[in-house]
Amino acid sequence: MMTALLILHGLCAVALLGAITHQALAASVKRGEVRGRSFVARFRATDAAAYATPVAVIFMAVMLIGAVLYPRYRLTVRPFVQNMDLRAANGAFELKEHFSALGMIMLPAYWACWKQPLAPEYDAARMWLTWMIALIVWWNFVAGQLLVAIKGLFP
Amino acid sequence: MKVHARLMTFSLTAGIAYTLAYYFDWSLFQYYLDEGRFHFAPQPESAGPPILWYGWLGAAVLAGSVLAIALPQRLAARIPADLVWLIPAALMFAAVMYELRWFV
Repeated sequence: MMTALLILHGLCAVALLGAITHQALAASVKRGEVRGRSFVARFRATDAAAYATPVAVIFMAVMLIGAVLYPRYRLTVRPFVQNMDLRAANGAFELKEHFSALGMIMLPAYWACWKQPLAPEYDAARMWLTWMIALIVWWNFVAGQLLVAIKGLFP
Repeated sequence: MKVHARLMTFSLTAGIAYTLAYYFDWSLFQYYLDEGRFHFAPQPESAGPPILWYGWLGAAVLAGSVLAIALPQRLAARIPADLVWLIPAALMFAAVMYELRWFV
């Protein structure tokens, strides 16, 4: 059961990573500003507002699954990390924990900023909240992957 | 904009409440790994190590919800748009500074 949840957690995280990265890059340019037919130009030319609800829903799903998995982490991975005195790994998870909570808490404001019609006074808030959530998702993904593989990395 | 102002009030209040909760160890409840149970009151050491994170998050969601509902609409609508991203940015920075002790 826990293994299935861990795989689901990882798969949802990949979907979230793709969605928020796409949205953050698209949010950094105004629609119509994107020129060219390169991969990057096309990647950024997406409708960023369309990602807000899926990002919020997937973020919540990843967070809830992570919350269910957390006791298992405390019982199996954390003692190993502490015994090996891997302080940076421990800190990476502590930060992941805080970032997950702050990200979840930011979601209502983030979602409100992206609600149509887009309010011009929230342009900066929209872009920065999206980038902050992207940073959180990237940090949590990389830290999570390293911790899942840590016994292999430090045998 | 009524709903939007409430959502933003929730995010700002809950974010600040979460930061205060982990800094001062204000956990609304604790989860005891050995027992596999939640408790509102701290248990003796023999109960094993607790997980506080759920309780910090619970405290933050409670504080955010209460203020988002209780704050008069005219006040909530006056929150400057820039605070909506500046406060979360400051809270993320605070979390990084707090956990920096693991990396030095």
